[in-house]
Amino acid sequence: MSSNSKDLSNPHLALSPADRTPLFDSDRWRLRLKGLALPVLIIVLLEIIVRIGWLPAYQMPAPSEIALTLGDLAEGALWKHISASLLRVLSGFAIGASLALVFAAWVGLSREAEAYLEPTFAGLRSIPSLAWVPLLLLWLGIDETSKVVLIAIGAFFPVYLNGVAAIRNIDRKLVEVGHMYGFSRRRLVRRILLPAALPGLFTGLRSGMSLAWMFLVAAELIAATKGLGYLLSDGRETSRPDIVLAAIIVLAVLGKLSDGLLAGLEKRFLAWRDTFNGTED
Amino acid sequence: MPQALLDIHVARKSFATTTVLNDIHLQLQPRETVSLLGPSGCGKSTLLRIVAGLEKDFEGQLLSHTEQLAFVFQEPRLMPWLTVQQNIGFSDDDHYDKAWVAQLIEEVGLSDFADALPKALSGGMAQRVAIARGLYSRPRVLLLDEPFSAVDAFTRMKLQDLLLQLAERHAIALLLVTHDVDEALYLSDRVLVMDNRPSRIRQELAVQLPHPRDRRDPLLARLKALALTELHRAHVI
Amino acid sequence: MKPALRFTLAHARHLISACTLALGLPSMVLAAESPPAEVHLDYAYYSPVSLVLKHFGYLEKALPQTKVSWVLSQGSNRSLEYLNSGGVDFASSASLAAVLSRANGSPIKSVYVYSRAEWTALVVRKDSPYQTVADLKGKKIAATKGTDPYLFTLRSLQQAGLKKDDVELVHLQHPDGRTALEKGDVDAWAGLDPHMAASEVQAGSRLLYRNSAFNSYGVVSVTEKYAQEHPQTIDTVIAAYEQARTWSLEHPQELAKLLADESGLPLEVAKLQLSRTDLGSPQLSAKDVLASKAAAPILVSEELVRRGVNVDQVIDQLLDTGRQQAVARQ
Repeated sequence: MSSNSKDLSNPHLALSPADRTPLFDSDRWRLRLKGLALPVLIIVLLEIIVRIGWLPAYQMPAPSEIALTLGDLAEGALWKHISASLLRVLSGFAIGASLALVFAAWVGLSREAEAYLEPTFAGLRSIPSLAWVPLLLLWLGIDETSKVVLIAIGAFFPVYLNGVAAIRNIDRKLVEVGHMYGFSRRRLVRRILLPAALPGLFTGLRSGMSLAWMFLVAAELIAATKGLGYLLSDGRETSRPDIVLAAIIVLAVLGKLSDGLLAGLEKRFLAWRDTFNGTED
Repeated sequence: MPQALLDIHVARKSFATTTVLNDIHLQLQPRETVSLLGPSGCGKSTLLRIVAGLEKDFEGQLLSHTEQLAFVFQEPRLMPWLTVQQNIGFSDDDHYDKAWVAQLIEEVGLSDFADALPKALSGGMAQRVAIARGLYSRPRVLLLDEPFSAVDAFTRMKLQDLLLQLAERHAIALLLVTHDVDEALYLSDRVLVMDNRPSRIRQELAVQLPHPRDRRDPLLARLKALALTELHRAHVI
Repeated sequence: MKPALRFTLAHARHLISACTLALGLPSMVLAAESPPAEVHLDYAYYSPVSLVLKHFGYLEKALPQTKVSWVLSQGSNRSLEYLNSGGVDFASSASLAAVLSRANGSPIKSVYVYSRAEWTALVVRKDSPYQTVADLKGKKIAATKGTDPYLFTLRSLQQAGLKKDDVELVHLQHPDGRTALEKGDVDAWAGLDPHMAASEVQAGSRLLYRNSAFNSYGVVSVTEKYAQEHPQTIDTVIAAYEQARTWSLEHPQELAKLLADESGLPLEVAKLQLSRTDLGSPQLSAKDVLASKAAAPILVSEELVRRGVNVDQVIDQLLDTGRQQAVARQ
């Protein structure tokens, strides 16, 4: 009984497994456990190696020590740093992504706009991320503004690029259906172009999110008073590699969670896609 | 004589330096089924698109035309993110006529699939939805561009019968482009055999058989022979 | 006395230690130490003697078969980082910063005092309304984490009854901190010479709070492993440093000019920095150990070290007062 059986007598078979996910599927839990195997192995190995002394503890603290540090931090300032970073990354991402969507729609839909705008964006895009830092510090100071702007710049380009590509990759045949119905430009965008471009847009959004986190760390390493990047540099400057690693772990977790959120949205809004999902070896 | 539903004269239609259509005169009466039969690239699809208003750049005139047209493409071209019923009612956005859509779904034989997504449909089923979508706007003319060329022979025959039923029930004229001689003869009242590029109408075959037709009817076989001879003369085959 | 015994006592001691080295006592690495293939040192504008050392090449002359390389350090935090990662063999930092690093697990040892200076203070703009440290509550102070100015700030805040969470400490490297102050991005700056002197001279900045007791002396440190494996190299480096120090004491005008040239700052600034720098006593003594122990509590109270660390013990392990002999020999 394949998920794609087109059996006319039983319409419910036509719906793919993704459309009906039970809450406590043992298959999904087994999948999760497989994903955990590698990290757990690495942690155990590291613990042993450091305890034996093959790696010096002042360069690579044992995982148990990092856990202790995390515990200490959690009792104290960790939440302050997390909320500072989250606020920055989310506002930067929101600003960068929305601007990118607007420009992507404009450039994607209009050859004129593309001719004027695309070369400039191509040039700006090739500026390496960290090169923005001294400029923004100079113009906008060391406050929140320069950090949020840096993050917005980071989020902008993947969303813009993927957005334009998504629009340009839309099947012309679908657009023709709209033309046949005599859709106005606006209606065409709303009813056909936007939904059809959604897969590409989501790719761009997820990519933009991960870049936003990267730019956040860069921003906070330079001149901050709080945040996870600040915590990172704290560990660096006071010879506390355990704090460095603790900060990295928290960053990784938050990054994963935010990506997971977007992935979940993607799954929900793009359940209609008829795509290859990998094989089950 | 009542005015023709469609009366179109294409003096010339070129793409860049290639002339595709040359002096074509086409008329369509209400409730009539006409097929354009010819090889690939002969411009029959282009002619259909001109009639549909998708192709506006040509030399000629539309002597009589109706706005109540619908087009069925070679591929189903359903919006993958919409369900079957949303696709059928596509031209009316979210406030489509649910009852009418339900009726159409029933007429094309997809009663249990109203809420299915296109990815769950076979090629034949998707094309049925496309036809239903065409019928939604209650057109007077349905334009079909090789609508069944992508499905297997048996499905094709079923779909042909369905098309005839629907045309009869809703009093629709059909203008059909096909490269399948049997299909043209089975469906149409008139078959227009077209030339290679630059194309014109070489031959008009009248099929004076009542519906429902028997595919084994010897008249169909004789007409097929005529068509094949003409196509051979045109160096199409 | 026989002619052979006309050696001075110092020479005798030297001979004895050379013999013990050659005999390979268990606590030392097996082979007698040959000059290393490479030695990496840092130099900094906050350590004028290091600039002299680099400029005249005393070390290069003392170790002709060794490749000597130099790295500019922008602050104690940087030099200690280089030391811990193996980027340098000899790092110049403030002693309290070295204590912090050792307390957090870095296996380092301080072997030499390159200067005792009043090199840090809390700086404000010339038109600033703040008069005391307490006025800085809730304000932004630029300070480089892991350096003496940072620790100076914490100690000054503590004295005024404030904790580090009562102000906003912005982490900027020393030169950037100066820029931030003068641009108005921060309300105060924990300054370090020569940048502090430059800000005073060039921008008219005011020293809001000075306290020479809250400044810690500057030390050259190595890793424990290096101390075990290259004790002779350490002696050679210290000897070269001593040469540079002697020159510095004998040529103050030229020293100021050299400092000005290297740092790219005006002569006036260099002179101001040197006026508050004491190059007199390069050896680590028991007094220094006590001074460090007196300063150390701030590390615990502001939670800069892990819980349960015995800072006094750390200081004892860090400061190598046994080097006195090597220094005195010069």
